Amino acid sequence: MRPAQDNQGSFLGRISIRRNQFVDVNNEQEQEDLELFQKHIADRFTELLSPPQPPPSDEINTVASVAATEQIMSVTWLRKLMDVFLCCEAEFKAILLMGRDPTQISKPPFDRLVPEMLDRSIKALDICTAVVNGIDSVRHYQRLAEIAVTALEQRPLGDGNVRRAKRALANLVVALSLEDKENVSGGGGGGGGGNKTTERSWSFGRRSGGSSAASKGGATIGQLKSSSWAVGRNWSAAKQIHAMTANLTPPRGNEAAGLPQPMFIMSTVMVFVMWVLTAAVPCQERSGLANHLPVPPKHLNWAQSLIGIHEKIGDEWKKKEKKGSAGLMEEMTRMEKLGHSLMEFADGFHYPAEKDAAESAAVQVAEMAEICRRMEEELVPLQQQIREVFHRIVRSRAEILEVLEQAGKVSAPVV
Amino acid sequence: MEKNDKDPDHDDKSKGDEKGDVVSDAHPSDDAHHQDGISNENVDVVGNAETDHQDPGDNNVDKVSQGEEAPEIRQTLESLSEELDQFLPTLSLHMEEHKDSTEEKGEDGYFQIPQFVGKFLDLFEEKLSKYDSGEPKTVWYQDPEEVSSLLEAVDRVSKLMGLLLNTKSCLDHHESLINHAGSIQQRAMAFLEDEFRIILEESVTKESVVVTDDSNSQRRSTADQQDHQNDVVVSQDHDQMLVPECGDQEIEYPGYPEDVVVVLRKIAEKMKAGGYGWECREVYLVGRRNILMRTLKQDCEFEKVSIDEVQKMSWDTLEREIPIWNKTFKDCSSLFFPGELKLAERIFPGDEGNLFCIVTHGLAIQFLGFAEAVAMTRRSTEKLFKILDIYETLRDSFPAMEELFPEELRSELRNEVTSARSRLGETAIHIFCDLEHSIKSDSSKTPVPGGAVHPLTRYTMNYLKYSCEYKDTLEQVFKSHSKMEREEEEPVESGNSAFASQLMRIMELLDGNLETKSKQYKDIPLSCIFMMNNGRYIVQKIKGSAEIHEVMGDTWCRRRSSELRNYHKNYQRETWGKLLGFLGHEGLMHNGKIVKPNLKERFKSFNATFDEIHKTQTTWVVNDEQLQSELRVSITAVMIPAYRAFMARFGQYLDPGRQTEKYVKYQPEDIEDLIDQLFEGNTSSSSTATARRRT
Repeated sequence: MRPAQDNQGSFLGRISIRRNQFVDVNNEQEQEDLELFQKHIADRFTELLSPPQPPPSDEINTVASVAATEQIMSVTWLRKLMDVFLCCEAEFKAILLMGRDPTQISKPPFDRLVPEMLDRSIKALDICTAVVNGIDSVRHYQRLAEIAVTALEQRPLGDGNVRRAKRALANLVVALSLEDKENVSGGGGGGGGGNKTTERSWSFGRRSGGSSAASKGGATIGQLKSSSWAVGRNWSAAKQIHAMTANLTPPRGNEAAGLPQPMFIMSTVMVFVMWVLTAAVPCQERSGLANHLPVPPKHLNWAQSLIGIHEKIGDEWKKKEKKGSAGLMEEMTRMEKLGHSLMEFADGFHYPAEKDAAESAAVQVAEMAEICRRMEEELVPLQQQIREVFHRIVRSRAEILEVLEQAGKVSAPVV
Repeated sequence: MEKNDKDPDHDDKSKGDEKGDVVSDAHPSDDAHHQDGISNENVDVVGNAETDHQDPGDNNVDKVSQGEEAPEIRQTLESLSEELDQFLPTLSLHMEEHKDSTEEKGEDGYFQIPQFVGKFLDLFEEKLSKYDSGEPKTVWYQDPEEVSSLLEAVDRVSKLMGLLLNTKSCLDHHESLINHAGSIQQRAMAFLEDEFRIILEESVTKESVVVTDDSNSQRRSTADQQDHQNDVVVSQDHDQMLVPECGDQEIEYPGYPEDVVVVLRKIAEKMKAGGYGWECREVYLVGRRNILMRTLKQDCEFEKVSIDEVQKMSWDTLEREIPIWNKTFKDCSSLFFPGELKLAERIFPGDEGNLFCIVTHGLAIQFLGFAEAVAMTRRSTEKLFKILDIYETLRDSFPAMEELFPEELRSELRNEVTSARSRLGETAIHIFCDLEHSIKSDSSKTPVPGGAVHPLTRYTMNYLKYSCEYKDTLEQVFKSHSKMEREEEEPVESGNSAFASQLMRIMELLDGNLETKSKQYKDIPLSCIFMMNNGRYIVQKIKGSAEIHEVMGDTWCRRRSSELRNYHKNYQRETWGKLLGFLGHEGLMHNGKIVKPNLKERFKSFNATFDEIHKTQTTWVVNDEQLQSELRVSITAVMIPAYRAFMARFGQYLDPGRQTEKYVKYQPEDIEDLIDQLFEGNTSSSSTATARRRT
């Protein structure tokens, strides 16, 4: 957060001081700024692509734990991604607006590029809302996992504790798979169908809500209706990402040397960040998301690391889609694996506990507890950062529109 | 069944393993949990690590007990409950005695668990099985006897578990019993969890009546208190305090009957006491979020809308969405959110803040997102009033909502609201700038026929009238959300609010534009009529609205009226002054004698000019009746006396009969009648086909 704040302060200060100086930016200075911007983009994403390497197996657990928390798609890593986005955005806005004649960004090709960028901003705002709602769902999963941990940590381990854990894990597994089913079926109608299925299982489990329901995997705590975490009727995260990629093509010829280049870069970064968030967190209607992000051309130096991250996530995504599970967030992935494994332990449990099986389960329970603890610490801060991104986008959009109006446009551009 | 009773003892014989520290959920902290999902486990460590080995004497004791049970007595859950209530304090005492001991005397450390404990558990399990099979015909929670019976049994099992898990000798020798009790506890808790969900979901949609037997409740509470008076560790049952007070205010939302809330609270309490509180909370959170969304849809027609969708909406559609949003936000602030908080407080006392936030916070954020979305839509002057409606809702309804949240979330929400209000306020101000611009740039080339009120004037004044109905809000908007640059560019006049200054700027621009348009009339008197019509319309609108009058101030109105009088004078001078020239005396008398040809010429000129004026100005429009009357009266007041005097002095010189008829076309009364025909917008006697207009 601190780097973002520093950049934001200095850049915004410079913007406000020089806002009214309608002097064309010196061409050489602009070229230097543009090259520096590209370098910063490359540097920041390089850091994101290369988290600390996992230590050798004989290293102590502390180091391993630290390394694990910073893996791509972990909550910690997502928070760093938010900081990177805020830094890039602040720097870009300084390039776009600082000391510039307003009429310059209302002439071709900016009369097309700027409205397109503003339209992407609108779609990004909805994705921020969807992700914040999605994190609420993740927190729900975390609380379910916490119940299982509490039950399985109990000593001596008995039938009651194991059944309790199995019940919580069943809720967890159903929640994860149901979210994807709704997504796969697509649209409001499909969602309704999913809800009806859930309600039927409720009715079925009304009087057999004990162990039999848990063993059947019936949802007993209940499922959040899509209305609780949806952004709007018929809204689709996948479609939003797809729409954001429209008209997203690298500038050519003379444009490649001027302002269109950073505009393309910033738009690409924005779309990429939103794509990562929707991949990580359960969102409304994400089917087909893996195919909806055209990668920037590989010859662009600044995009190398970004492409690398995209490939890693894309690979993981393709694996997940076959299994039909929710969210690529590292913690959710591990939680899901542990959930299934502990479910098997619970299914095979017979009192008194078999020593080896119990010890193996205890290791997994400890790992699950660690995941829950980390989620507890970082999910809410992540939500707050995403809200900050939301407000930054809103403010930037307003500032750009204001500059366009100074340029003499009678009405706001169609966005 | 008899054989099963013996199993625990046999298992105990085979267990000699040493047990480590034990972590128990039996006594979770009663302090409020302000963090999600943290397991606040009460750790009770049994200090004695020595193994208590059984000696042959124990077997003898068991055998003796078995012998005592030879004559079978019919036992019920109730009778065994009484025995268990007597037994639990003994177990608790034993636990306390050995809690801090570092030495374990073999024989003293062993604690005998009476057979009726196992029997109680078996009967309870039997009862639960019946529930699971759906055997009772009635809904469980609607039978107060069944509710109390089950909850008390659950309470006993939880206390038993808590004591067993915290007593080393029991851990060492009664593992099988602990497993059995734990298993039954889990089944009971699962049942309660399901019932909690059913009650939460179903009770809100159908009214159910639960007959509360207060005297019975009192009796049970008294008995409970007496039975537990010796409990040192286990908290006492406070059923008595749960009896609702007569003075309790009935909440309108979510509308659960009082007795249903009591049942929910009791379930939550028993589950928490047994270490299963997290399940209960999660059921509550999921259920309440679903119910809240459903309620908003049913009661307020509320549906979530994405920001992208808001941008694409036609104004007609958005105009229908905004009132729905306003109503929903107000109802959430005054009814739904307070109701959620109160319900959480009554079911989970001490933990309501945390639960309330999870249920409502995400929804609150999305509400504010809609406000931001509206502020981001393409601006148009017609949107001002709905934007101000949203602004007012946030200003007036958010404080009550804010107070429901704990401080850390409150400041976050406050920031969100500040951001939304800033966007809305800035948009409102920009709309006035757009209005300025459109007034300034209105450049229609065709003069309004008849010098009538210009559509620009009509539109602008109606707009300002409606705007001033939001006067207080707009004062606040202009004070709080104006950019610094604007204030520097146009210093605010002392004594005027920012909004008043804005209105005056608009009026000045309107005046300037109207002045420009008035020059399109070649006929100067008509341009004066045009300015009078528009100026009059403006003043009437201002005086007719208390709000706009207050904003503009009396001084401004007086200045306006003064300007109108100037146009009036100019009009009279340009039109009727000329006519008056023909009624002068110069050139008509020479050496005391009338110069007849000149006199004749005067009459002819007067008649022709008057006819021309009448013909032209009957087509001119003055819709304001008072202004029309004022004009006619002032014209008449000048013309009639002059004409009458002229006639009296010079009429006699014309020869009666033919000459008089030829030159004296009008009598004073005739002229007065014709003046009363002016400014009617009448085109029937005119070559132009201009439609007659009235306000």
